[in-house]
Amino acid sequence: MKAIKGKFLAKGVHVPDQKSLAMDVPIEVMDAPDIVAIGVQQHIGRPAEPVVATGDQVYMGQLIAKETGYISANVYSSVSGVVMGVEKRPNVGGTTSDYIVIQNDHHYQEMKLDPLPDHESATIKARIREAGIVGMGGAGFPTEVKLSPKTPVDYLVINAAECEPYLTCDYRLMIEKTEEVLAGIRLLAKALGEVKIVMGIELNKPKAIALFEKYDDIQVVALKKAYPMGSEKHLIYSCTGRKVPVGKLPADAGCVVQNVATAYAVYEAVELGKPLYERVMTVSGKGCIHPKNLLVKTGTPYDAIRENCGVKDETVKYIAGGPMMGPAMASSNVYTTKTSSGFLMLLPEETTEDNPSPCINCGACAEVCPMNLLPMQIDFYTQAGKYDLAAQYGGVRNCISCGSCAYVCPAKRALTQSIALCKKKLAENKGGAK
Amino acid sequence: MSDIIVSASPHVRKKRTTRGIMLDVLIALLPATVAGLVFFGARAAVTIVLSVFGAVATEWVWLLCKKTSIKAIARQFDLTSVVTGLLLALTLPPLDYKYFYIPLLSSIFAVGVAKMLFGGTGKNIVNPAIAGRVFAFISFQSPMVSGWMRPLFGSVDSVAVSSATPLTSMLGDSIGAMGVSNLDLLLGTGVMGCIGETCKIALLVGFVYLVVRRVVKWQWPVIYVAVCGLISCAMGKSMNYFLPSVLSGGLLLGAIFMATDYVTSPNNKWACYVYYVLLGVVTALLRFGTKIEVVSFAILLLNLIVPLLNMWIRPRPFGATPIPQLIKQKCADLKAKLGKKKQKEGEQQ
Repeated sequence: MKAIKGKFLAKGVHVPDQKSLAMDVPIEVMDAPDIVAIGVQQHIGRPAEPVVATGDQVYMGQLIAKETGYISANVYSSVSGVVMGVEKRPNVGGTTSDYIVIQNDHHYQEMKLDPLPDHESATIKARIREAGIVGMGGAGFPTEVKLSPKTPVDYLVINAAECEPYLTCDYRLMIEKTEEVLAGIRLLAKALGEVKIVMGIELNKPKAIALFEKYDDIQVVALKKAYPMGSEKHLIYSCTGRKVPVGKLPADAGCVVQNVATAYAVYEAVELGKPLYERVMTVSGKGCIHPKNLLVKTGTPYDAIRENCGVKDETVKYIAGGPMMGPAMASSNVYTTKTSSGFLMLLPEETTEDNPSPCINCGACAEVCPMNLLPMQIDFYTQAGKYDLAAQYGGVRNCISCGSCAYVCPAKRALTQSIALCKKKLAENKGGAK
Repeated sequence: MSDIIVSASPHVRKKRTTRGIMLDVLIALLPATVAGLVFFGARAAVTIVLSVFGAVATEWVWLLCKKTSIKAIARQFDLTSVVTGLLLALTLPPLDYKYFYIPLLSSIFAVGVAKMLFGGTGKNIVNPAIAGRVFAFISFQSPMVSGWMRPLFGSVDSVAVSSATPLTSMLGDSIGAMGVSNLDLLLGTGVMGCIGETCKIALLVGFVYLVVRRVVKWQWPVIYVAVCGLISCAMGKSMNYFLPSVLSGGLLLGAIFMATDYVTSPNNKWACYVYYVLLGVVTALLRFGTKIEVVSFAILLLNLIVPLLNMWIRPRPFGATPIPQLIKQKCADLKAKLGKKKQKEGEQQ
């Protein structure tokens, strides 16, 4: 179906997208290093429970950690080799958690899931759960849970906006694996039942729009290039004109949002019997000598990726994910997960030194806030320790942490940090009250 | 390998800084300053220099007293005090040299009391420049309101304008009685007044610059001026009042540069609408009441309620229930409640 224009998103910011760095580089398979460390917590929810012991021989695609609840996901080995143990290793964000360390024998002996008997909704959903598929846009929410909404749903919205600057992994997937992504999308739609499929693609990816326009069962929506276009609520608004009510889930507006990479993983799991243990990841930034789109095995150390792509000496920042929401890493001695969409190496010229000055109340943050909040009020009350007032006057509970406010702030205030702190404190207080 | 920086996202930021914004404001003030210099010559220059010096020196001395190192002061110097000093000077009349202490003292008051005492940049409750201006007006009445200097050129009917600003007599008498036309008011030729307030065209050029640079939204000054002008017309029962009331006095300077000051204006769109409409109303009403220092006092007054506006008028979050639906819901709830009450009463009977 011919692409239609998305609803105008008046708010948000225009970030130079820098996608040209890696946009035209084909996906390249990266060989896993000798040792990989696969986290048991690669998703939102409860960590998976390791089911292998030190010294066990595992195969590529073998279950090594089992889900421990409804909101949890299986973890599979991404290489074949010997388990060296379950160890505490650093996460991207600086905390530590359990990792299953595997010595890679480089034989890549594969173990596949059994072929599916049919393509019924329930079977597909069961397979998605079994394969440990989580939302691959970044949040890592178990996909099967999202596909089982409590309210009736009539839209499947495919998130192909990729509004984060630098990242091009979803774009490359759409260009190179069009058929597979399409099959994945159709499987997702089937799992949901009778739904219309809309696919939101930003206008800076005309090739992808042209490719998906050809199919009759998919309505492509050409979105204005803006950040945060890929935010669930705003994507739904742009694609369907519906607004997700405050404090509700997309399903309450009759929509389910899934990422392109997730659709591809679903295709692989259902049609090829391959669980989720590798993903495409963009390695970019001006500090990177050879920007690439790599097919990376889960648990690959960022160090190995850095060596693969090369890094310039002047690089000052390593970022896991996109530059707007991704955390900066203290070192590249951490491991990729199912949700790692990017690895950026930034030069001083690209990133800004944070030197906060007093807020001058210019209102720029409120002007761009896609959720219509007042970030300066949140910051003000959080600094004063009045978290409840921050929620009352700033509306921090509705914040989607997109970072638009901090992007425009002329005083360079650390708004996202304040907001994160405030959210944490509010959650703690709530827990304490119970 | 250089050191790796760890900081919170976002890792890319817009280039605009507080200093950059203040520089934009200074550039926007340039035409008015130049016009003032042309009209009033050396006296204006001395007033401006003293005022800016007083403002910046006060800030620096204050910070030095707080044991901030010179280096740190220089790094955090964001030009706000320069803007305050310049704005204050533009609102002062071109004073005789013997009154050199007036701009100096008022700028010290402006920055020292109205800004630094409250916590410095971004923390002040009222606009420092206006506070300084009002301070000068209250403390040094005679040089501030009488014996004003005549512009260096332009035909002035000396009898008509010997004692007060055009606005004072104009609102009292019929328009045009003193030989000052709207064009004169616009260009500032032959009009006595404050350094920066006389040449409206220069102020408008500054306004356009601010709008183009997106420092100020065009709606705000326009709403203020329009509301004020229209109410003046309504009270005078003639549309002829519109242009004179808009073009005379400190209204344009106040509307463009003072009322739109970030720190002392509301922080969101809806509160801003209320704020600027209220400003227009208050200014127009005050003008018919007191005739002097109207714009300053109106802005000062409204500055004080800005924190309340910020608290009371807030945007509704994305996805909030639309207002008509909300009202319907509330009505339905109320009806249900009333119905229950009646039922209960019926049962009791």
